[in-house]
Amino acid sequence: MTSVSTGGRRTRVATAGLAVTALALAACGGGGDEGGGSGGGGGGDALTIGTSDKITTIDPAGSYDNGSFAVMNQVFPFLMNTNYGSPDVEPDIAQSAEFTSPTQYTVTLKPGLTFANGHELTSSDVKFTFDRMVAINDPNGPAALLANLAGVDTPDPTTVVFNLASGNDQTFPQILSSPAGPIVDEEVFSATALTPDQEIVDGNAFAGPYVITNYDQNNLISYEANPEYQGLLGQPATSQVNVRYYADSSNLKLDIEEGNIDVAFRSLSATDIDDLRGNDQVEVVDGPGGEIRYIVFNFNTQPYGATTPEADPAKAQAVRQAMAHLIDRQEIADQVYRGTYTPLYSHVPDGLTGAITPLQDLYGDGNGGPDADKATQVLQAAGVTTPVQLSLQYSNDHYGPSSGDEYALIKDQLESSGLFTVDLQTTEWVQYSEDRVADVYPAYQLGWFPDYSDADNYLTPFFLTENFLANHYSNPQVNDLILQQATTPDPAARQALIEQIQQLEAQDLSTLPYLQGAQVAVVRTGVEGAADTLDPSFKFRYGALSQG
Amino acid sequence: MATSVTAPPEDAPRTDPSRRGWRRLPVVHQLRQSVGLQRGMLVAGLMLTGLFLLTALFAPLLAPYGHAQLRDADGPFGAQQPPSAEHWLGTTVGGYDVLSRVVHGSRTAILVILVAIVLSLFAGVLLGLVSGYFGGWLDRVLVVVCDAVYAFPSLLLAIVMAIVISGGQSSLFGGILAAAISITVVFIPQYFRVVRAETVRIKNEAFVESARVVGAGHWRIMTRHVLRNATRTLPLILTLNASEAILTLAGLGFLGFGIEPTAAAEWGYDLNAALSDVTSGIWWTSIFPGLAIVLVVLGLTLVGESLNDLADPRLRSRRAAGSADTAETPVVPGGALDAGPGGLDGIEETHR
Amino acid sequence: MTTAATELAAGDPAQEDAPAARSRRGSGGLGSYVLVRFLLIIPTVFILVTTVFFLMRSTGDPITAALGGRLTAEELAQRVSEAGYDRPLFVQYLEYLGNVFTGDFGTTLSDRRPVTEVLTTFGTATLELAVYALVVAFAVGIPLGRLAAYARDRWPDAVLRVFAILCYATPVFFAGLVLKLVFASGLGWLPVAGRASTRAEIELQFLDDPTGIYLVDALRLGDSEVVLDVLEHAVLPAVALGLLTAGVFLRLVRTNVIGTLGTGYVEAARSRGVAERRLLRKHAYRPALIPIITVIGLQVALLMGGAVLTETTFEWKGLGFQLAQYLQARDFVAVQGIVALLAVIVAVTNFVVDVIAALIDPRVRY
Repeated sequence: MTSVSTGGRRTRVATAGLAVTALALAACGGGGDEGGGSGGGGGGDALTIGTSDKITTIDPAGSYDNGSFAVMNQVFPFLMNTNYGSPDVEPDIAQSAEFTSPTQYTVTLKPGLTFANGHELTSSDVKFTFDRMVAINDPNGPAALLANLAGVDTPDPTTVVFNLASGNDQTFPQILSSPAGPIVDEEVFSATALTPDQEIVDGNAFAGPYVITNYDQNNLISYEANPEYQGLLGQPATSQVNVRYYADSSNLKLDIEEGNIDVAFRSLSATDIDDLRGNDQVEVVDGPGGEIRYIVFNFNTQPYGATTPEADPAKAQAVRQAMAHLIDRQEIADQVYRGTYTPLYSHVPDGLTGAITPLQDLYGDGNGGPDADKATQVLQAAGVTTPVQLSLQYSNDHYGPSSGDEYALIKDQLESSGLFTVDLQTTEWVQYSEDRVADVYPAYQLGWFPDYSDADNYLTPFFLTENFLANHYSNPQVNDLILQQATTPDPAARQALIEQIQQLEAQDLSTLPYLQGAQVAVVRTGVEGAADTLDPSFKFRYGALSQG
Repeated sequence: MATSVTAPPEDAPRTDPSRRGWRRLPVVHQLRQSVGLQRGMLVAGLMLTGLFLLTALFAPLLAPYGHAQLRDADGPFGAQQPPSAEHWLGTTVGGYDVLSRVVHGSRTAILVILVAIVLSLFAGVLLGLVSGYFGGWLDRVLVVVCDAVYAFPSLLLAIVMAIVISGGQSSLFGGILAAAISITVVFIPQYFRVVRAETVRIKNEAFVESARVVGAGHWRIMTRHVLRNATRTLPLILTLNASEAILTLAGLGFLGFGIEPTAAAEWGYDLNAALSDVTSGIWWTSIFPGLAIVLVVLGLTLVGESLNDLADPRLRSRRAAGSADTAETPVVPGGALDAGPGGLDGIEETHR
Repeated sequence: MTTAATELAAGDPAQEDAPAARSRRGSGGLGSYVLVRFLLIIPTVFILVTTVFFLMRSTGDPITAALGGRLTAEELAQRVSEAGYDRPLFVQYLEYLGNVFTGDFGTTLSDRRPVTEVLTTFGTATLELAVYALVVAFAVGIPLGRLAAYARDRWPDAVLRVFAILCYATPVFFAGLVLKLVFASGLGWLPVAGRASTRAEIELQFLDDPTGIYLVDALRLGDSEVVLDVLEHAVLPAVALGLLTAGVFLRLVRTNVIGTLGTGYVEAARSRGVAERRLLRKHAYRPALIPIITVIGLQVALLMGGAVLTETTFEWKGLGFQLAQYLQARDFVAVQGIVALLAVIVAVTNFVVDVIAALIDPRVRY
């Protein structure tokens, strides 16, 4: 479908030759061990990881999902990346990166970079990467993240200048670490169309910590450490990693229990994780997660919303605040999720720079628990007649199998106070996505997984007057503050603005956040390093793992 | 045998497809006809089916809690609690009482079965009758269409239909209807085949010819003469399809296309939700809904198979075979006029 | 209605001239029957492909399914429009038909693979499982069915029949889980899921020109450990799926053997003093094969199309497994491709079965 450069084809022949040699070796070796012929990197046996992720494609221009991005993080380099343990970005294969003018972000590459196939990695590849992503603009791709990018200049082979449409964009360095940021080889990838995964693998067009030596999509991927990688993350602790893909998480659980895999990452059911915590063959490792769950209110159609017969903004706000008083986050986290989700008391999740907990201070008993009396007071003060009729929607097939239990419990919590009567309904995801922006649902469930680890990614998409929720929320002050923080270069000043936005939003409650997903990995006893990579970068790097 | 005498009257109206036909209640008649082991199997099947019907009928009285109840006066039940005095069969991962879910689930199952069977019965019988009676192009087209749909894996079709139908908002009725309609689509070709095959056979028989000579209209001949004879085999298919409906519903639940827990209790959904419990040594959340499915399907299939055997003189127990075999035409195995390929056995689809 | 009263030797040429071969619909002999039957494959496949096209399109598009929780309504609409999914359905349908006629089944939307590659890769996996399952089904179903017929109305018959019903009544995902718990987790004899262990998979990947049928590939590799590994992985899914089909076979064989046992010519043979065992084996069993072949044909066809539940339970990455995945992602290109293949398999199998049945028993030609 796409044309490949001759260079790519030549490498493919070379790889095929290698494969034949490997085969011959394997044949000679008979029962053969895995170690044969692998070079570079720290020692250790091959590590096998199990996951229930799904890969759309490993071409960065063609996918915008966790499963595909997880692979890209192992094999492609980024200009900017998050180091282990931190949510903030630093240069990865770059030497330096800074704003040289408000609309110019200049990145200098380290000298002498190469891809694993021997091709040089220069500014030309970087320009190619971003140009092609914008040009292809695949419906499933992340090109939308590059909305602020006007063009890329390459004054010399190691210098890249990003010209931005609006100046001082503080999120731009983060975007370079997002799904829009993996750098690809211009001699292997097509400039105008997505490149098939097998061509990428055959072309060995990798320059991240690992290369892929064997690719069987959504079944088994074999990685080998890439000695050419000179980036932020360093050489992987384990030189050979195999990743098996599962569809049913109970099989993943049984296999980690049996020792057929060394690491299970994403996603085991809450029950399984709870059970594995008591198993001394394995170790459950928790880390902060970027995923959040929240209830969206449609400001037009919620009780007392703008287009309802008894429209009254004050009463509408009282209804939202009463719900904030009543929801028992700990109970949901414990009963439904067994601690794999934790209570969330802000619109920005815990672990990110600038996150505070205004919802804990403002609502409930002050310690995070619910308070029915305060809910009664706030409704009475606003003159709301109780019980409030609320219709609440959730999706049964998009946010995991526990959504049903989660919302049954929320309904129960709201109703047992006597203040609400909840009409709980569910709709399958595609219809749900269409209905929610068509004002069909007064209040509904959504979840969010960030594009990059910055508070902005939890504010801009939601609370600007023009937002993806389309819930008719508008607060000019919040709108202006969000725009202001995005262009404030001073970190302290920016953090103060982010905190102020959270305070204001806790009053307005355009959405009601209640859960934050923890990242949970299960490792066989003796496997080390999982805690290092379960960090607020929300990227799981195989390079951190090693067999102790 | 006391139970066997009380069970049929409940069962009979359900399996009786025609208001005019059946002077002899089908199940009662066959029960009398049966002997020995065959009677034993029929009785066992009827008892299980009767138990299922009674449970569904009296569900609110039998179940200690509501199907979506999470707490009582003493506070929340808690999730995955082992069986205790308060919760005889424990609680589910969502914190529901297992016993209550299982009991209420019988209502959902029976609703789905009823709606699915009534819908497919009307559509399938009507199409089969018209197609078989008039023949011609319509007949050929319908046969090809039904063959095509019949050849399709039922579960796949049900999934696609469930997505199409549940596109709207869910509710108890919406969920049940979605499941029932998706099952109906799969059933229609089966009724169509059986009724059509019987109609083709009957319309050439002397009594129909004579009715035609007397000047009876097509509609009258179809309803008065053909229908009542063409539907003799339906009770068997009904029971087989009823068990298929339950399995299809369970399969839908397993793949995430079932009925939601707050809308109604459904065994397939509960079983699916409990799968990860099993790997963690929590057995009570899956065993009971699983057992409910197995027992109901077992009961219905036993009834269906026994009826099947009794309707066929060659399969009827030898001691009872003497009475009626010359007069009746075998309706099941072999030959060209079979319902599905290979008779009723071929009708059955397995849910893999 | 008399059952075929001769001992049938399959393929007896004399039968083609039998008067009974006259078709009920008036079309001529075997040749034209086969022709008509063959031509019917086309509308059958066409109907299925068309139905699935329109059904799938009415379930929503894959872009909304993937990105509905991330993008604004406008962005979403723009992407859907760029992909061409907002054009009139009929136009998309004609385009699809045109592509299919030129052999282009498209590229899947949710994992970017050519549909033809999906069909061959996962089709071979399904084929492998289907063969294993059939071996189990035949090994269990047919002898037990004969045993049940022979012991009819005595306790072994009852036990076997209840066993057959239980095979059918237990949801396969539940039975599969129990099997896994007992034999994989509990006893540790067999692997939990998948088609091979990680090491074996890697070795198999390096084989030149792999068939995709792991057992064949493992044998070619010549590594006995890999062969054993592949076989171990096949046991549980084959048993789970095979028993399900065995239940159907058991009942089928029993019914038909009893049916033919009661007919005149068997009685005649019995009165001639033919031993009961020989009676069962030769006289009753052979004719009973005709309906059995028809049902088995359909079962085989359905097995080839992929066992959605079994494959999902055991992570057997075949057509059924993929179908469930693609349905969830609303990947209609992939679903249509798989269903088209399925339709062809079912239609062709039915055709073959009907022709065989017509060869054996002329009355079948209607």
